[in-house]
Amino acid sequence: MILSIMIFLPIIVTAILFITRSNLLMIKSFAILSSIIVFALSAYLFTNFEATSALQFVEQYPWIPQYGITYHIGVDGYNLMIVMAIAILMPLIFLAIWNRQEKGYWYNLLLVQGGVMGAAVSFDLILFYLFWETMLLPIFFIMGLYGYEDKIYSTLKFTLYTLLGSLLMLISILYLAVTYYNIHGEWSFLLNDLKALPLNTKEIFWIFFGFIIAFGIKIPIFPFHTWLPSAYATAPSGAVVVLSSIMAKIGVYAIWRFLFFLFPQMLGNYAPYLLAMALVGLIYFGISAIMQRNIKRIFAYSSGSHLSLILIGLLLLNPYGWNGSIYLIGAHALSSGGLFLMVAMLYARTKNKNVSELGGIASQAPLFSIFFVFFSLAIVGIPGTSGFVAELLIILGAFEHSLLVGVLSATTLLLAMTFIFWMLQRVLFGKIKKSTENFYDLKKNEIAALLPIAILILVMGIMPQPFIKKFEPTVTDNLALEISYITEMQK
Amino acid sequence: MNELVSLIPILTIGIGAIVVMLLGAFTKISIKILARITRTIIIIALAITLPSLFSEQFSYYVYPDIFHNMLINDSFGLLFNLLFLLGALLSIYIGNVYIEKNKFFTSETFALILFSLFGMMLLSMATEMITAFISLEIASLSIYVLVGLNRRSHKSSEAVFKYLLLGSFGGSFFLMGTAFIYAQTGTTQLGEIATFISSNIEKDMTLVIVGGTLVMMTLMFKISAVPFQAWTLDVYDGASLPVTAYMASTFKIAIFAIALRIFLVDFQLIQDIWDQLLMIVTIITLIVGSLLAVIQTNIKRMLAASSMVHSGYLLIALASTGISGTSAAPSIIFYLIAYFLSAIGAFGLLSYVSWDTKRRTTYEDFKGFAHMHPYLALIMTIFMLSFAGFPSTIGFLGKFYIFTGAIEAGYTVLAILGVLSAFVSIYYYFRLIIVMYFYPSQHGAITLTSRVTPIVIGLIAITVLWGGIGTSLISFLPGANNFIEFAQNSIASLFISH
Repeated sequence: MILSIMIFLPIIVTAILFITRSNLLMIKSFAILSSIIVFALSAYLFTNFEATSALQFVEQYPWIPQYGITYHIGVDGYNLMIVMAIAILMPLIFLAIWNRQEKGYWYNLLLVQGGVMGAAVSFDLILFYLFWETMLLPIFFIMGLYGYEDKIYSTLKFTLYTLLGSLLMLISILYLAVTYYNIHGEWSFLLNDLKALPLNTKEIFWIFFGFIIAFGIKIPIFPFHTWLPSAYATAPSGAVVVLSSIMAKIGVYAIWRFLFFLFPQMLGNYAPYLLAMALVGLIYFGISAIMQRNIKRIFAYSSGSHLSLILIGLLLLNPYGWNGSIYLIGAHALSSGGLFLMVAMLYARTKNKNVSELGGIASQAPLFSIFFVFFSLAIVGIPGTSGFVAELLIILGAFEHSLLVGVLSATTLLLAMTFIFWMLQRVLFGKIKKSTENFYDLKKNEIAALLPIAILILVMGIMPQPFIKKFEPTVTDNLALEISYITEMQK
Repeated sequence: MNELVSLIPILTIGIGAIVVMLLGAFTKISIKILARITRTIIIIALAITLPSLFSEQFSYYVYPDIFHNMLINDSFGLLFNLLFLLGALLSIYIGNVYIEKNKFFTSETFALILFSLFGMMLLSMATEMITAFISLEIASLSIYVLVGLNRRSHKSSEAVFKYLLLGSFGGSFFLMGTAFIYAQTGTTQLGEIATFISSNIEKDMTLVIVGGTLVMMTLMFKISAVPFQAWTLDVYDGASLPVTAYMASTFKIAIFAIALRIFLVDFQLIQDIWDQLLMIVTIITLIVGSLLAVIQTNIKRMLAASSMVHSGYLLIALASTGISGTSAAPSIIFYLIAYFLSAIGAFGLLSYVSWDTKRRTTYEDFKGFAHMHPYLALIMTIFMLSFAGFPSTIGFLGKFYIFTGAIEAGYTVLAILGVLSAFVSIYYYFRLIIVMYFYPSQHGAITLTSRVTPIVIGLIAITVLWGGIGTSLISFLPGANNFIEFAQNSIASLFISH
């Protein structure tokens, strides 16, 4: 029951608030209240989660029995991190945007919370598809209604792009289900049932293609990223945080959950290609970030670079890589969440996105600068932050995989680090520019939103063990299974 | 006794049509009261029909001695009759203010609606070619007149002229086809034709095949499949909004009633002859429909063009029935229900906001609509999402069933094409959402009067959502699984042998 409440509470709250035409204060209060309830439930979930690879908190009811579509949700070591990240970030996002006056903004953020939560815990492909698509809609509205500049163009581009991917995935899902039906004579869309179906190489290639396009666009991985800079640049802060901290993570998670799980027999063949794509992405996004002068685009690309790193960790197919990736999902969700909230605050204060026109913030807003430096360093993974643990694990795994992959990813990360220092220096120090003349420091609600993130980043950086031990069994068991499949194929 | 009961709804509508016509002709009765009488007649018919929906599947000829197996009463026809009745009822409810305000709606309007309803109901029950033709023409002729009600409008006159000429021409193929079939089989009764087909080899059935092709052409014309689509945009655009709503949602479905009955069951054995043809028509319908819809600036015309695309989806399913036929056939019915709900809602909403005789049907007119009318905009959004096949609406499940059926039948290419046109459709449906929400309001609020209409439209919107996500946990509302159950039931009843 607990997971269902976590999914549907925000949605039901939205529906009630909309129908009763509540005033803004009511909406805000109930949004925060419901997200805190979800957070409390997630804390309960986390503490009661047993450190095994078993699926827990399972709920399974028939939904459309004629087609074997089931309402099947649960949590295992892998999506636990994402569920936690959603539950922690949403109330903080609400706090950070407390001054936004638009009702629609709040409604849509509430809706998106339900959508992403559902996508993260679904174990039925149609159910997953339902949440995967519907979580797009609130973002569509937030971007289109409350975005900046070219908002309609970038909203439409983003929407069409992601929907194209989803629709191709739908065909893949249906094809799998029909194959299952032809063998067993009954319908099922359960992930467990559709696993390792006897398909020929060509079929698998196309089905794989359908899935990877959908996930690749959402993350985004190179070369499906062209929507990314414009969307991040025009979307308001809430949408950007949801996009980068949550939805992109669900994309990576989905690759693991669905592609690795559905086609274990083929992964050995495709992993090297995907790894190459992810490496190109890592480097390409890293360099693109350096080339940018627009602060929103800088972080858009840097976020893309980190997502490629998470993907690399998964594709290394060794314990370091997997544990590191899962940890980085949580770590990057937090640090990028904090950072994008701060970028939005920066923009709200200066109305300027150009690095060259910013400067001297440190002298006017010390608190702001401290947080900004902290999140920037956390995102590149300075020791003591959660990102460090995760990136270290992935780099270790990369070196274990091959020298080339190790060297490439390590260098890119170092490059990113030096670049962030350059950017911080330009933005925070130096002369006060025209746009930063009236820069005021963080407000109470902003501190309340950022402080928990910062503390959690430190805790996860200093004591990773309590977190890692929750998902390690899942990783170990699944990896063993994966590798046994691959060796079997190679024979 | 059962047989008599099964005839009561259609008799009610038929007699009602005559009564309403006479009332309009000989008394000075106001449109408002006439509308009320019409609604009552439909509701009575609906109330009598409805209980059978929940019964086991059934199928029997009605008074075989009198009608010589011309009429059948089965779950299939029943479901269609329910949809027709609902469609007419909702069209009248939603358009009530529009009909009162626009002077060209005379008392004949209601008689014509009832006559067309009578024709469609007869069509869904017909198991004999001539009966089917006559009922098709009863329905069509009434619709022709309804399209041309607004005599002073050039557009309307153009529409009725085009529709009448092309429609009658298209309809004549049906008669021709029937003649061919009769020439070879010596019968026009569907069951007997089926027996003839099953007991002869293909070589001896040339005329049946030619006849069947001609009949198919008429049906293609009526559902505006390409290349028989030329009339669609102008007729949808020229007709007044409540009529368009009725035509798009209800009359279109009626064609599928007879098409399924003929081609799914009685021509089943030789259906693969038409496979290639159907596939080609499907492909070009999807492509041309999508292209036409993309370039429209008028929402009414966009919906008309997109209705061609929906015909394309339905044709995918029809083409897929030939081979396996397990899940494709019910998916047609389900899709029809899904399309019916969204179409009547969307057109209904258009007619609701245009009640004060101002046409508000371009994208331009809807700029900033959401800021003035948040609820109506939300409802319209739901219908657009359902049309586009977005998950959590009934439209998604409709597409889901159709594509599943197509892949099951081995037509993965058609399914992919369907998905691609669904992708294109996102563009033109989302365009309306974008216009409604993302632009500042330019026209100010529209004064809206009727209280009934928004409630009715709202209920349809809820059904659209509930049909997409609902379960049977709440028993009084049919959820997603109940709709597919109805569909499967009604298809199964087609195959009951006598």
